[in-house]
Amino acid sequence: LTGRTEGRAAAWANGWLARLASYERRYLAVDGGGGARLLARLPALGTRLRPVSSPRHAEVLLACEPISRRLSPSLLELYRAMPRPRRAVVVGEPGPEHFPRADLVRLEDFLPNVERISADRSSPAEVAQRLLTLPLQFDESPSKPQLEPMTIPLPGKQEREIATELVVLSLGPVQPCTAGPLRVLLSCDGEQIVSAHIEAGYATRDVAGAMTQATGMEIAGLASALDPLAPVAGRLAYVTALEQLQHWEPEPTLGRQREAALALERVQNHLAWLVRFAEILADDRLTDDARRLEASLAEVSREFWEQSPVEWLAPQTPTVPTRYGGRPPRLERLAAEVAALRDRLARNRVLALRTAGIGVLPVDRLHAVGASGPALRASEHGREDVLGRLLTRLDEAADDIRNVEAGLKPAPMNRLRPAEQGIAQWSAPPGKTEVAISGPRGHIGLSLVSDGASLHQVAWRRPSAALLGLLPELLAGQKLADAEAIIASLDLAMAEADG
Amino acid sequence: MSALGTALFVGLGLLLGAYSIAVLERLTVLGLRQFSVAVIAPLAQAAALLRQENLVPRGADRLLFRSAPLAAVAAVALAALVVPLGPGLRGFDPSIGLFYFIVVLGPFVIAMMNAGWSQNAKEGLFGTFRAAAYLLSYEVPLGFAAIGPVMAAESLSTVRIVEAQASLWYGAWQPLGLVIYVVAALFMAYRRPFDIPQAGGELEGGVLAEYTGPRLLLFNLALNALFLLLSAMGVVLFFGGWHGPLLPGPVWFLIKTLALAALLLWAGRFLPRLRHDQMLSLAWKVLLPASLVNVALVGILVMVLPGGGW
Repeated sequence: LTGRTEGRAAAWANGWLARLASYERRYLAVDGGGGARLLARLPALGTRLRPVSSPRHAEVLLACEPISRRLSPSLLELYRAMPRPRRAVVVGEPGPEHFPRADLVRLEDFLPNVERISADRSSPAEVAQRLLTLPLQFDESPSKPQLEPMTIPLPGKQEREIATELVVLSLGPVQPCTAGPLRVLLSCDGEQIVSAHIEAGYATRDVAGAMTQATGMEIAGLASALDPLAPVAGRLAYVTALEQLQHWEPEPTLGRQREAALALERVQNHLAWLVRFAEILADDRLTDDARRLEASLAEVSREFWEQSPVEWLAPQTPTVPTRYGGRPPRLERLAAEVAALRDRLARNRVLALRTAGIGVLPVDRLHAVGASGPALRASEHGREDVLGRLLTRLDEAADDIRNVEAGLKPAPMNRLRPAEQGIAQWSAPPGKTEVAISGPRGHIGLSLVSDGASLHQVAWRRPSAALLGLLPELLAGQKLADAEAIIASLDLAMAEADG
Repeated sequence: MSALGTALFVGLGLLLGAYSIAVLERLTVLGLRQFSVAVIAPLAQAAALLRQENLVPRGADRLLFRSAPLAAVAAVALAALVVPLGPGLRGFDPSIGLFYFIVVLGPFVIAMMNAGWSQNAKEGLFGTFRAAAYLLSYEVPLGFAAIGPVMAAESLSTVRIVEAQASLWYGAWQPLGLVIYVVAALFMAYRRPFDIPQAGGELEGGVLAEYTGPRLLLFNLALNALFLLLSAMGVVLFFGGWHGPLLPGPVWFLIKTLALAALLLWAGRFLPRLRHDQMLSLAWKVLLPASLVNVALVGILVMVLPGGGW
């Protein structure tokens, strides 16, 4: 009887503790390539959600697809390191079936009791709600992952200033300083980084290869997926390329609408990046400001079009349905707020102490690797360091918000209705063409060769890939504590970089 | 009060104090509108950690790994004994109370270093080195900042220091010492913007990266209690301790302590995390010379003005 009573008391206490514990969730986020914007917004939505940086402190492993087979051992290792009770959640993106030439896996294939949130129900609010209501489990640990043996070249003794023993620290492949997985192996002499070794390819999907095997609108979907954080840029590149092959030119009003959609996407990316960057600097006030601006933009931009630009961007569609009806100038106010934040940061001497003079990228090196985008423009204006890239992005975000305003303003567009849309022409006539679109991280280039029936050859020029190669020289000689801020300042999207 | 009573009183006080700091910490992030979340969330986190597995990493030094959180709690509990909450309301009042406080808190950093060292992980090792590098950097300015009130009160007794501020708080005429103490206290408590040994992203949590469950809870408790104690000692040294009108002394002491802690937590939110070399530069190139200037200034004032200061 005593044993039964004790058992009941223990069960009651455990149940009570479990109920209380479920009030807050600590999660470790893993961005397989498409989750940066969701992960930037999540902590602001759920005040009871806390992101952590160590798997030992996490209750939930939150993974955003796509997940490559190469990344899976790291995820397995992370899950094994988490204390029980625990749970794994995956937010779905286009899965393995969409990328037949990619080696993608599902989390369910190697982790127990995975909760899946499908792509159509993956709004930040819904994900936050699911994380908070998810029951944790005392499950069995999955078997140890088979890790590939790895060797990295270390600098010779004569290349070091002081001959001491080097320590190799692995940053990633799951880390918050890039949008998507990247492994950076840092050889450190104390707090000084002596050399860095980059391991990319954890988010490879072979988008270009898949495009040659797909048809019609499927290809447009794949083009959108090149950079999951910038689907408009990828899709617009493909649509523009098709229109060039079809010898069709959009009207100026449509061109302005497309530019507005593109500018909006650039701003969204810059602000989501700012949230991530502020979190890395552990600057709470900047994080709060960035989150507030990002949420304001998300709220305002819902009013612009009846469908999202990714849905209405199609070749030879003459008009675009819009809902923007000359409301009070919320975008102008937003642009003014971004500009004010930029000015405040430029005057912030403590921020400068932390970000000025580190991660210097000379403009000739950027030209040599074919870099483009904010990183190049910052260096061209003499702002070659991390602080310069931060201020340049904010400058460009403010300008782009005004571009969105300008693109949406033309009066005739306000009267357009969905019924006036033309029929999209998805066929690719024989020929060869090249286009370049100004995406959030630089120029996204697309080169197409069509034989009339299918795409014969597809090649992308990816802005993050160009910057990736600069990382080893950028990190060598820097302080370990600056490594994350330097890498983050480049705003690398690994899904786009890996292709 | 008997030894057992004192132990229970200090233990309960630290527990409630650590919880108050956790609530304040969340309030500074969430704001007053989320008051209920700020109140419940620390309890929820404690419940979650109590339910969790108490893992020990493979290859860890088990003795050091297991004992580090206990050593941290012991250090803050022993230091708490000399903090006077009100007239006669203290663990004990040695004549060297302030010296005892600083010396007894010293092993806290040893506990942090043991925690990082024993993990058998490079991240923890780097965290250990960082914690060790800061040890002297904050101890020296903290000690010199505390000398000002000692010179004015002509005593190392924490009770005597509070009693000497019955007419005017030392913070009013030793503002430099107050600022140095506050910055050094943030250093010592591993709080923003000086929390790089335990929070550097590149180290995944640094010295606490491998701790889980009840041991992590103990460490969190010790860190919050440490911050509370440093705030309380700040009140003893610069804000007149329990002195205040109308309300009972202990109530004034608690109000002042939590207000100072809230102010420091709030101020820390406006600064990005500093790098280790910047922290060391701040300590040795700014705080130390400034603290020596403060000692000289206080010395002159105490010598020149009748009655020893004000």
